[in-house]
Amino acid sequence: MKQNQFVRLNNERWQWFEDLCQHQEQTFPSDFPQQYRRICGELAIARSRHYSPALVDKLNKLVQLGQACLYQNEGISFKQLIVQFKQTFPQALYENRYYIWAALIAFWGLAFIAFSWVIADPEAVYHFLDVASVRNLEEMYDPSGSVQSVARLADSDLLMFGVYIYNNIGIAFQMFAGGALFCIGALLPLLFNSFYFGAVSAHIVNVGYTDPFFSFVITHGSFELTAIIIAGAAGCKLGYKLLNPGKFSRAYALKKAGESVLPLIVGAFLMLVLAAFIEAFWSSRDMPSIIKYIVGSIGWFYVLQRLYKGSRYGT
Amino acid sequence: MSNQTLDNKVYRPLPEGVSINLIPAGISARIIAYLIDFAIRAIIMIACGFALSAFGKSGEGILLLLYFISSWGYYIYFEAKYGQTYGKKKLNLRVIQDNGLPARLNQIILRNLLRPADAFPFGYALGIIVMAANKEFKRIGDWAAGTLVVYQESTIIHKAAPNTNIAITPPSFNLSTPEQQAILAFAERSHQLSPARQAELANILAKPLGVSGEEASLKLKEIANYYAGQTI
Repeated sequence: MKQNQFVRLNNERWQWFEDLCQHQEQTFPSDFPQQYRRICGELAIARSRHYSPALVDKLNKLVQLGQACLYQNEGISFKQLIVQFKQTFPQALYENRYYIWAALIAFWGLAFIAFSWVIADPEAVYHFLDVASVRNLEEMYDPSGSVQSVARLADSDLLMFGVYIYNNIGIAFQMFAGGALFCIGALLPLLFNSFYFGAVSAHIVNVGYTDPFFSFVITHGSFELTAIIIAGAAGCKLGYKLLNPGKFSRAYALKKAGESVLPLIVGAFLMLVLAAFIEAFWSSRDMPSIIKYIVGSIGWFYVLQRLYKGSRYGT
Repeated sequence: MSNQTLDNKVYRPLPEGVSINLIPAGISARIIAYLIDFAIRAIIMIACGFALSAFGKSGEGILLLLYFISSWGYYIYFEAKYGQTYGKKKLNLRVIQDNGLPARLNQIILRNLLRPADAFPFGYALGIIVMAANKEFKRIGDWAAGTLVVYQESTIIHKAAPNTNIAITPPSFNLSTPEQQAILAFAERSHQLSPARQAELANILAKPLGVSGEEASLKLKEIANYYAGQTI
């Protein structure tokens, strides 16, 4: 069959198909898949008969259009995010449990080392921090100081909320992405933060400002620290799979790793949003420390229990 | 068909038994799209900055929140909802899956969360190097998410090559299939070319066709008419 005859016989249907795909508000006919497959067939015919490139191009575009209509995207829904958090996140924790455990041990191990070091040798804190930031830190948690005793104003809370969201979640995302660079971008910040956290807590203990500090950090710390560790672990998996793809090609290993760690980063994101809320609007409230310790302990218990169940049983 | 080396098309086999070709977007197009998006985000942030500066500390807090949303959420929202951001739309680009289907939300999130890796150490330097190193111009985020940025199919025009005003002349020699296709393509694309350019291209063949320079273009179209099969 000559090209022109082929076009003349089918052109009307192609036009109809194109209109149908481009104006998606109208309902699709029930034989849409057949129509789509028919055009796929016609593309194959056009190629094998060496019809002109323009015609092949047109059919190629028609197939693309039809394909996009037939296999629609699920779109954005908040509900999906929640489902991710409740179901996919624990499954991903289980799937990536070795990375999570390694990151947990690395973080808390190093934090413990730094803590013991600074407790044993109080001067050692200056290895990690310069004098100005140490003074700043002491001022912030000084029980007799102005920062803690005067309740922060509501507008300041909102400012801090913005800071926590922007800063903490930004760090978590950057660690995740940095992990793709052969783990380095995730490991360095994770280990630096663990050292920093350990040293700072030890220094606070050394100077005796324990109560304002720990009552402040305990509540949001559970969500925040764990989320940062999870984000770091997720990033590390990307980098590790790039280094050691196993039996897959590097490209495919990276793609598979990306798919499996995505719920982790979504979960970490939600945890950090929660932590920012707590940190901005709860941790700074002026109330007896004992209440904060109780609430904080409940938070820790909940997080650890979810983490344990997730990484052991995937639930 | 699946191993053309000259053009920049990539072929993707479909479960329907054919393969489609996609044209991945190159580095310059994507940089321009990024700059457009960047400008939009910057303008929005500056406008919000002015508007919120009246609200003191809470304004600052909200501004930081907005900055966070605009730097991470802008791409995710628009790419997931429309398959393209405004900058990509301007350049007629679209984010799709490796297999040619519209990208899923998960993939969009992943490819955009990995932006800092591509931006390492500054100005998307690493991303550009990675893109330059593969035929499909994927940056690290695209590799991990399994996505591809391609030129969007524009409105479909297929001008039937043969013009009824032009006579049908069988060529006086035999041509191979690719040669026939080249002649057909010339005839089909001729409406995009100026008459001078048409003549210039056709004149190359004036001698073998046995015509004088000016008639070569018309002669080629006549031959194309024959190949397309004007008459049944």
